[in-house]
Amino acid sequence: MALFQFPLPDVGEGLTEAEIVAWRVKPGDQISLNQVVVEIETAKSLVELPSPFEGTVEALLVNEGDTVEVGAPIITVKDDSPEPPAAAPAAPAADVEEAVHDAEATIAQDEGEQPANLVGYGAQSDDKPTRRKRYASADKAEESGAKLPIQDSVPILAKPPIRKLAKEMGVTLSEVSPSGIGGEITRDDVISHAEQVKVFKNIDTPGWPKEREEVIPVKGVRKAIASAMVKSMFEAPHVSVFVDVDATRTMEFVKRLKASPEFAGIRISPLLVMVKAMIWAVQRNPTVNSTWSDKEITVHHYVNMGVAAATPRGLIVPNVKDAHTLSLRELAVALEQLTVTAREGKTSPEEMSNGTITITNLGSFGVDTGTPILNPGEVTIVALGTIKPKPWVVEGEVQSRMVTTVAASFDHRVVDGDVASRFVADVASVMEEPALLLD
Amino acid sequence: MPLSPDALQLLQPDGTLATGDHLEPYHAVIQGLGEDQLELMYRTMVITRALDLEAGTLQRQGQMALWVPSVGQEACQVGSGMATRRQDAVFPAYREHSVARLHGVSMLQIVRMMRGLTHGGWDPKDHDNFRLYTLVIGSHTLHATGYAMGIGLDGKAGTGNVEEDEATIVYFGDGATSQGDTHEAMVYAQSYQAPIVFFLQNNHWAISTPVRVQSRTPLYQRAAGYGIPSVQIDGNDVLISYAITQQMMNQARSGAGPQFIEALTYRIGAHTTSDDPTKYRDDEELRFWQERDPIGRFRVYLGDKGFSEEFFDQVDEQARDEVSDFRSGVLALGKPDSSQIFQHVYSAANKNLDEEAAWLAEFEDSFVPEGGH
Amino acid sequence: MATTMAKALNDGLRAAMAADDKVLILGEEVGQLGGVFRITEGLQKEFGPQRVFDTPLAESGIVGTAIGMAMRGYRPVCEIQFDGFVYPAFDQITTQLAKLTYRHEGSLQLPVVIRIPYGGHIGAVEHHQESPEAYFAHTAGLTLVSPATAHDAYWMIQDAIKNPDPVIFFEPKSRYWQKGEVDTSNPSADMNKALVVRPGTDVTLIGHGAIVSMLMQVAEIAEGEGTSVEVVDLRSISPIDWDTLVNSARSTGRAVVTQEAPGNVSVGSEIAATLAERTFYTLEAPVIRVSGFDTPFPPAQLESSYLPSVDRILDAIDRAMAY
Repeated sequence: MALFQFPLPDVGEGLTEAEIVAWRVKPGDQISLNQVVVEIETAKSLVELPSPFEGTVEALLVNEGDTVEVGAPIITVKDDSPEPPAAAPAAPAADVEEAVHDAEATIAQDEGEQPANLVGYGAQSDDKPTRRKRYASADKAEESGAKLPIQDSVPILAKPPIRKLAKEMGVTLSEVSPSGIGGEITRDDVISHAEQVKVFKNIDTPGWPKEREEVIPVKGVRKAIASAMVKSMFEAPHVSVFVDVDATRTMEFVKRLKASPEFAGIRISPLLVMVKAMIWAVQRNPTVNSTWSDKEITVHHYVNMGVAAATPRGLIVPNVKDAHTLSLRELAVALEQLTVTAREGKTSPEEMSNGTITITNLGSFGVDTGTPILNPGEVTIVALGTIKPKPWVVEGEVQSRMVTTVAASFDHRVVDGDVASRFVADVASVMEEPALLLD
Repeated sequence: MPLSPDALQLLQPDGTLATGDHLEPYHAVIQGLGEDQLELMYRTMVITRALDLEAGTLQRQGQMALWVPSVGQEACQVGSGMATRRQDAVFPAYREHSVARLHGVSMLQIVRMMRGLTHGGWDPKDHDNFRLYTLVIGSHTLHATGYAMGIGLDGKAGTGNVEEDEATIVYFGDGATSQGDTHEAMVYAQSYQAPIVFFLQNNHWAISTPVRVQSRTPLYQRAAGYGIPSVQIDGNDVLISYAITQQMMNQARSGAGPQFIEALTYRIGAHTTSDDPTKYRDDEELRFWQERDPIGRFRVYLGDKGFSEEFFDQVDEQARDEVSDFRSGVLALGKPDSSQIFQHVYSAANKNLDEEAAWLAEFEDSFVPEGGH
Repeated sequence: MATTMAKALNDGLRAAMAADDKVLILGEEVGQLGGVFRITEGLQKEFGPQRVFDTPLAESGIVGTAIGMAMRGYRPVCEIQFDGFVYPAFDQITTQLAKLTYRHEGSLQLPVVIRIPYGGHIGAVEHHQESPEAYFAHTAGLTLVSPATAHDAYWMIQDAIKNPDPVIFFEPKSRYWQKGEVDTSNPSADMNKALVVRPGTDVTLIGHGAIVSMLMQVAEIAEGEGTSVEVVDLRSISPIDWDTLVNSARSTGRAVVTQEAPGNVSVGSEIAATLAERTFYTLEAPVIRVSGFDTPFPPAQLESSYLPSVDRILDAIDRAMAY
């Protein structure tokens, strides 16, 4: 025994509703297949509806005079044929309500038992549609962006507005390191490149000068740099350690920060994340953040983060005092301020002293990695190189990921190989998974 | 409305045969009909009507967007359908369900179109060249004419071999006789003396437009205006439908050029299930034509010829069985795969279309399947 | 050997008729007269009036009966006398010819070719200089091609006739009497391919039919001014050979699409939108279109202002280069 419902069909190619004019049957009546059970009125005409089921009328679900939407069930019929239907019947129910409910549950699923009203439901009423759920694609951004370089084999990816900006700023796109998720050149890339170009890059190749020699006196900043470099180089035994890391998640994190209202108007870059990584790594490997003297090693329990900055007059290393106490936002602001001040040539001697650890950004010059020289008084310096798309193995498959080399040089009088490696590995692991900073 | 005095009729509404010298040639044809042929005529008319009515019922139960009833027009369809030879090409409009059955196209195949599964439904090559339904009124009359011109080019008409020569028959309604394409078809057919019979089922209504809006003269006279031999017949008379069609198909296939038959009949039902004839027709007219039903009068005739009650009962039982199978068949029709959208647009490969198809397949795969559908 | 496009088409039709006796030619005036443009001249004499015949003056009938003949196994090549007269056949072309293969779900092929002389620059009266490609390009199931040279005309008409599906063959009537080299032993590229007919590096210029020779002139002038123009002959209006177009636009970074047809909702619009989508990252400038204006084709004395000209196309190139 089964219960079947007859939903109101669309009898006229796109009708959405009909009025019940007259029932021709009542509950308890025995009806045969195709027997007319109700007369309805549609926008087009008066129509008699024949029953798709044979059996006993269980319930009339709508009343005469009601306007019913196409698809709404109008009658329930109990099939009391002796032969059980091919598919599992609906559970027998004590009262009509329950029966209707149960029938509703089984109705949609049975194969051909309860034929679904098929057609003419194109003209729907105001049901609010919702978006269908999609499978999460592992890296949606990658799909839309990263596929491009491989499929299209295009060397330079830049949207028209970026091209326009580059043109206006006099930047040659082929010289810019792209930092976009899909390998494209972003607005920031163009701007920072333009700044670097202003500072230290030649745009034109000048002709050979007429004089055979040019003599530059050694004084001022150049003299200071030279003596610092010599002091560092010859006093501290330098060891450099390198690790390549998949920094895609850092790039995504940076992208999200850029989009966040919290960080609106503040310069965000991978350098910020690396600085945070270094601070965290220092916590875990304290001796890298110290100063050597013949008698004693002073381990600093604070971080004055030095950032190597190129200025028109040469390299200087101002530092952010107590960087370990700053929030991400505060740190971003401090780094930006430091860079601006340095470019303006206004960095004070106080700002350049008492640094405890330094980071140098070679990536802004388009360089992959290097062997930095320690800032005198410090035992560790980290170099951030370019972050660019490279083949990387992810779960057994070669994919295009944003890869960078984390390099660091150490004073081997203080820092041995194991500590050096652990420190660099810690920094690199944050670059791979910035969420570690939540530790 | 009475039949025009020109209309040929053999089997009268009361089931007896009409007489008259002008009917002699047609009586001769009818006498040549075997019992099995008469049986087939009756069986086809009864069962097609039963299936047709069931199809309408299924539409009212939400199983089709639309159904196109042919109730009332069985005689001219069956009579003409049986008079064509296997080698002839048949171009239907979209209401020739009896002719379809005679060519092995089932009601289920026709319903697949109404149910939105296909725009066609069969391969003419598998059905003695019974072509697909054409929904644009009158367009197919040109295809039929072109086909017939092809028969002429092949030298397959007018060889003198009536058994093997080929001809074409095209079915259309009174509304189609206003369409330009129908007239161009007659112009071309006459110009090239194509072996084609234009079979007009004048069922008196084009949706809600009565035939007098299409024409102020009897429709068969239009063809006469092109110089095409034309007759008018009682379309509810299966015997004259058979006899006249056979005669004219033979004329056409023998090289005499196009022919035209106007079969006067009536659309007992609505134009389609979206139509409501009570809005524009009166009951009196409907009753008039119901009294001239093609099946009723033929049953009387067969009874007089000695067909038994058992025979008629057996046909009714067969009709019930087929209706039941048909119903289950319709309810079991599945849903097409969206890849069907892109198939057979061209018969040669098309790269751009293949890319579109691949995109849709990938897009649909990207959704988590919804439960229960 | 240098032949006119008209003669090349005539020769191509002849070759097709000789290769397959199911090929028929029908249309108004195509028999004894050889067509108003003499494209079918001599063919009735050579192949007989069964295979080359005149039709009544009824375009819908030409296409409709051709469909019937194709159903019977023939390969009819219809001639529509002038572009502006194709419209009575529009229903048969779009509701029947384009859809019958689809309707038959694989059991029917319709190898029908409809030849249409089209385009302006001949100073003719109303309805004789139209470019109706867009109406048909929009209709799935149809293939549309247009040769720009006599050599292509010779080979593409034969390709079209061999095609199992319906083809609309647009013949640039202003080129009918232009001479060009036709190599009857060296087939041209597949009719559904576009061709780079002049390589260049600064900007891609795209067009089909009559306008291609103008594009070559434009390229010459531009080169003298220091701009390297790549000219692409579309050849196939439907389906469009996107690979060739995209590769060209990608390599130059700029594209200008040209057509005689009015620009609003045209074939050029589709090319511009698709190129923008597929070459977004490498475009230096938006895709620029040069088309007829959005008016009915004007009286002939105005056609040189209406149709794209060398100067209008150069102007578009200037605008593209300025980005």
